[in-house]
Order: sequence, then C-alpha cells, then structure tokens
Amino acid sequence: MIDRALPTRTLLDLAARQWFDELADRGIVVTDNDLIVCAWNSWLVEQTGILADNAIGHPLFVVCPTIAARGLDEHYQRALAGEVRVLAHRFHKFLIPVSKSALPTGATEATQTARIVPLTSDGQVVGTVTIVEDVSERVVSERELRNQILVSERARNVAEDASKLKDEFLATMSHEIRTPLNAVLGWTQILRTQGNIKSRDRALEVIERNAASQLRLVEDLLDMARIVSGKLRLDIETIELQTVVQAALDVIEPGATAKRVAIVADFEATPIPINADADRLQQAVWNVLSNALKFTNSGGTITVSVRRDNATARLIVADTGQGITAEFLPYVFDRFRQADASTSRRHGGLGLGLALTRQILELHGGSIEVKSAGTDKGSTFACRLPVADTLAQAAATIKPHLDADALDGIVVLIVDDSADSREMLEVALRAYRASVTTVDSVDNALAQLASGSIVPDVVVSDIGMPGRDGYELIRRLRSFAEPIRSTPAIAVTAYADPEDRMHALAAGYQLHLAKPADPSVVAESILSLNAARSSSAKRHRS
Amino acid sequence: MELTALQQDALIELLNIGFGRAGASLSQLTGHRVLLEVPKVTIHPIEEVAQALEGVIASDVASVHQIFSGPVAGDALLMLDQNGAAILKELLTSEPALPLAIDASAREVITEVGNILLNACLGTFGNILHVQVAFSVPQLSLESVGGILESLRVHREGVRYALVVHAGFKLRDTEVRGYLVIILSVASLDRLLREVEAWERDNR
Repeated sequence: MIDRALPTRTLLDLAARQWFDELADRGIVVTDNDLIVCAWNSWLVEQTGILADNAIGHPLFVVCPTIAARGLDEHYQRALAGEVRVLAHRFHKFLIPVSKSALPTGATEATQTARIVPLTSDGQVVGTVTIVEDVSERVVSERELRNQILVSERARNVAEDASKLKDEFLATMSHEIRTPLNAVLGWTQILRTQGNIKSRDRALEVIERNAASQLRLVEDLLDMARIVSGKLRLDIETIELQTVVQAALDVIEPGATAKRVAIVADFEATPIPINADADRLQQAVWNVLSNALKFTNSGGTITVSVRRDNATARLIVADTGQGITAEFLPYVFDRFRQADASTSRRHGGLGLGLALTRQILELHGGSIEVKSAGTDKGSTFACRLPVADTLAQAAATIKPHLDADALDGIVVLIVDDSADSREMLEVALRAYRASVTTVDSVDNALAQLASGSIVPDVVVSDIGMPGRDGYELIRRLRSFAEPIRSTPAIAVTAYADPEDRMHALAAGYQLHLAKPADPSVVAESILSLNAARSSSAKRHRS
Repeated sequence: MELTALQQDALIELLNIGFGRAGASLSQLTGHRVLLEVPKVTIHPIEEVAQALEGVIASDVASVHQIFSGPVAGDALLMLDQNGAAILKELLTSEPALPLAIDASAREVITEVGNILLNACLGTFGNILHVQVAFSVPQLSLESVGGILESLRVHREGVRYALVVHAGFKLRDTEVRGYLVIILSVASLDRLLREVEAWERDNR
C-alpha cells in the first residue's frame, strides 16, 4: 500500500471535480433523471452568462428554453432511456445558446457539437451528462480548406479547358495549313510532268491562290501572337472609315458574287474621320465580312452600313446566314473557338479571325458586339470606333511605276542561305535589268567584297543565316574602306516584328522588308537607295 | 454456423422495426426522406467476417463503433466504404466533400448517423429482451475492415460470432450501401437467438 494522506478514490473525486469546473475547455451539464440541473461548469458560466447558482436546481429546459423549442429535448428523452446521443454541428448547429459577447466577431449563433450521455448507477439511468464543445475555429478552417479546394479545382478546369481548346486548335491548324500545301505540291507535280500550256496557267493560278491563303493563315497566327504578347504596333493616321470599309468590300466582293450572296452597302455620305492603322482596320473589317460570307448560303444578303453617332462611328454587318446558337454566342470572339470544331465541319478557318478583329478594334479604342436570334436567323456584328477630331489631308501614296529597265546598270549583291529566295529575287531584279550577284553565306559575301571581285551599289541580305548572320554582315561591311563601307543595304527577312526592324536598322541597314517581299517593292527600294547615294556622292564631289 | 429460417425471419423482422425507427429519425434530422431497405442477415465466426466483407467493401472503410454492455454484450459497428460515407455526408448536408480524414465536421455527421442506426437496432433488441443495454460513446475510425476486426479481437477473449446486417439506405434517389456488424460472445449470441425465437413464436 502506498502511504498517502488521502485515499485514491478521494483524490480521483477531487481531480474530477477540479477538471469539471476549471480545467475542461468545454461545457459540462449534469442533470438528474428529472432533467433538473445538478452541475453547471465555469465554461458554461463564461459562455452563457448564466451563473451556476441560477442554473443549479432548475429544470434544464427552463435554464435553456431553446433546447425544447428547437426539438432537441428528444435527445434527452433518449438519453434517459439509456442511449448515447451525439449531435453533429452540421445537423444541429448548437445545443446551448451562448451570450453575444462570447460569440466570435461576425457570428450570430454558437457553433457546437455535443454529446448527451446517460449517467448510470447499477444498470439504472440516474441522470444525464451533456458535453458541449465549441468548434467554430475548426468549422472556419474547414470552410477555408473547402474553398481552397474549390478554387484550385476551378483553376484546373479552366486550364484543362484551355489546353483542350489549344489541342483542337492545333489539329485545325495542321489541317488548314496542309490543305493549301496539298494543292501546291499536287500542281507542282503536274507542272513537272506535263508541258501543256493550258494546265500550266491553271496550275500557277491554283498555286498562287493557295500560297496566298496560307500566307494569310500564317499572318493571322503571327498577328495573334503579337497581340497576345503586346507587340503589335499600330501605324495610326487619320483616315475615312468609309474608305477602309470599301477597300475590304472590294476584296470580298468577287467571293460574294461567286457564291451568289448579295452585298448591300449603305454608307453615310459625309466622311467619318477616324484615327486608325488603315491596313489593320481593313483586316479587321475583312474578317467580319468574310465571316458573314462564310456562313451565308447562296441567295442570302449581307448588309454593310456605316454610320456616325456623335463621337462614335458604327459599322454594322448583318447577314441572313446560319446564325449563332445562344450557347456559342458568348464565345464568338474567343481565340481558337469555333462553334463546330469537329473534323466533319463544313467551314474552314482557324477560328482566329473574329478574335483578331476584336483585339484590333480594342487596340483602336473601339469594340465589337454580336447578336443573333439563333440558328438560321442570321447574325449582326456591330463595331464601334471613336471618331477623330478632324480629317487630315490623306496623303495618297501612289505606287511609282517602275520601268522595265529601272535598275539598268545597278549592281546588286544578294546574300541569302535559301536558294529559293536567292533565285526568286535574282530573277525578279534581273527583269529590271539589274546586274545581280548572289552568295549563300555571309562568309562568301565578305570574301567577294574583300577580294574586290564585286563592288555592289546595293546589298540585299537575309538576316537569319547559319554561321554569321545578316547583322554581322552589315557590321563588317560598315568597317570596310570606301566605297564598300557606305553601300546602302536592305534587310529582307522573316523576322518581321517592329523590334526586328529596329534591330536591323540599328545594325546598319537602311531598309527592312518583311518576307515574303514583293519583288517590285525590293526593286523600288533598290532604286531609291541608289538614287539617294548617287546624289549624296555628287554633293560630296561638288 | 447458420441461422435457422425461424431465426432469420425473426431477426429481419426486428431489424426492420429498428430500421423504421432509424429511417424516421434520419428523415427528421436531414429534412429528406430516408428509406432503409429490408436488411439481409448472415452470421459468421469473427475470423471470417473480414473475408465476408472485403469482397464487398473496398479498402478502407469509415466505421462507427459502439460497445454495448449488459446481459447481452458486444461490439456494434456501422461500416461504410469511404465513397459511401462521402455520398452520405453530401446528401445529408449538401456540402462538397473533403476527404474524411481532414473533415472533422463530416466525421461527426457520419458518427451521428451511425449512432442513430446502431441505437435503433440494438435498442430494439434490448426492448424484446427486456434488458437495459448500455452504450459507449460512438467512435469513428478510418481503416481497413481487417484492421478494425483485428483490434476488436485482441481485446476480447473466447469464441465470438458476428451478425452481419447488409443495409441499404436510399435518400434523394441515391443508394448508399453499408454493413451493420454486431459482434457477440457465444453466450450473448445464444441468449439473443433464444429470446428472438421466443419473441417470434409469441408474435405468431
């Protein structure tokens, strides 16, 4: 036996009493089998504001009338019949109401779980014990966790959606890019095997048309990439909206005639000045028109109206075509989105056109909206652009006509690693009687220049080449002795972003032309650079 | 050991009474009509219960465990596979599911539902046996059927049997399957079956 001042039993009783009253971090109520409160611990006093003296000796449902009022008294009847009851917070919210001052900020009621247990002696129920626990902190953290999971799930869904769209887009793009290539390759084959003139013209026409359509696709893609990366720069000038829309109509009209779709143009007579990049805006308008044409059947009508509404210019394109379902309407201007992305779809295209249009209009401070009453009810696209203050005198840029011998006597050095590009330029420039030398690398160009075997009047060079590139060529050329050092140079390159242009000019080129460059533009540029150099040379001499 | 046809009938009838009571309680609790299907009862030595259940309950289960004591004593468990537990919890409280292991509020919900079912069934047995059955506070655990039964076996001695009640709830047109497992010593089982047979004869 351990020698103690008090027996174990008494110590345990004391411990239980002390735990019950001071140590327990939860509410404890003890009742007899008539549900008269016998014990009410200090946690409850703190939380409810009801003193132990005011609780003990009174019926529980008088001390806490809401227990009976909320139908929770049944659990006490069950406990008196010997059952243990557990009360989940999710089902019952709370058992014993607490005072306002004990509630966490913002809460209007207690957040509790409870257990009601029969108190038994010799197999007989003699009362009940209720244990109430505040779970508000736990409930808050569970809610936060649940929200976090919801948020991350939503983010995952969005990402999955986007990735699915891109997959569809890639499939569409491959298809769209391959289709014109098939035609080009097929007709090239025919040209190679059959010499007859009639099919030659037809072949060239098909090849040209398909190459042009592929160029358009690639340009759309590049534009989109530029817009997305914020690299698209607008060449803003004050122009007439009507002129731009008419230019786009001119492009679309042959297609409409061929498809027997009528185009009704309804323009306001007074010119509407807008500040815009004419080419980009025409591209945007063309996209809307070609979309309308694509989805309008033979016999339909496309109405194009241009109106001014105070400071707002409006372009409305309404068609009688297949319309847009209410489900797809919100996605019309989304990138890569097409109402029918299936392989059996009737209409080609990348699903980029309208997305580009919206982006271009927004870059111009404008907007575009679409309405459709549904399938087969036609669609109406409404574009808005801010009107410019005044219409500046539009300087008409008239393409100078080049004579067939415009480049006669001018020595041109072409540097390009691509044999096709070299040859194309060579043939085109020779047609203007230029004296052309081609080399396939910067090293060869530098060797020829150093040996003095060629003294070009103008250098035309690619930028991206294996080994030394076009930037290095121009830097080295500029460190040669005169007259090589001051030779005007044109960069003709697929690096067509404004940054690339700046880079090329900074490196020492006089001009930067994007590939594929129109040979007549190259010829013109050569002519004007050469003329400028000759006149400055004359000034030097005089 | 197999139940006689008489014992089967009597047990099912008693369980039906209990389930009816539990269904009413659950309907009232959740505000949705909760239907409990007519149960199927089998009996197994405790060593074979895991085998009998593992075919139907995959991997870990959520089990609500209550010890009951008195003239008939033993362990009562409600077992739900975790999917069933999640469905049950969502149907009952319309809150999206978190994994039970980190959702104490959901564990409470399952515990309360288990408590109601177990009390209803054992309470019915207690009533016909005219004995007071005392229950422990229900405990919820998440582990395999084998693990649960193993921990029950180590703490008790003697040959023990398990009454396995195949239960199905239907709420909001969704079915949730669960198992009520009542583990009894040979003496308790014997007493229970004798009383059940007597009750069945009296009621014919």
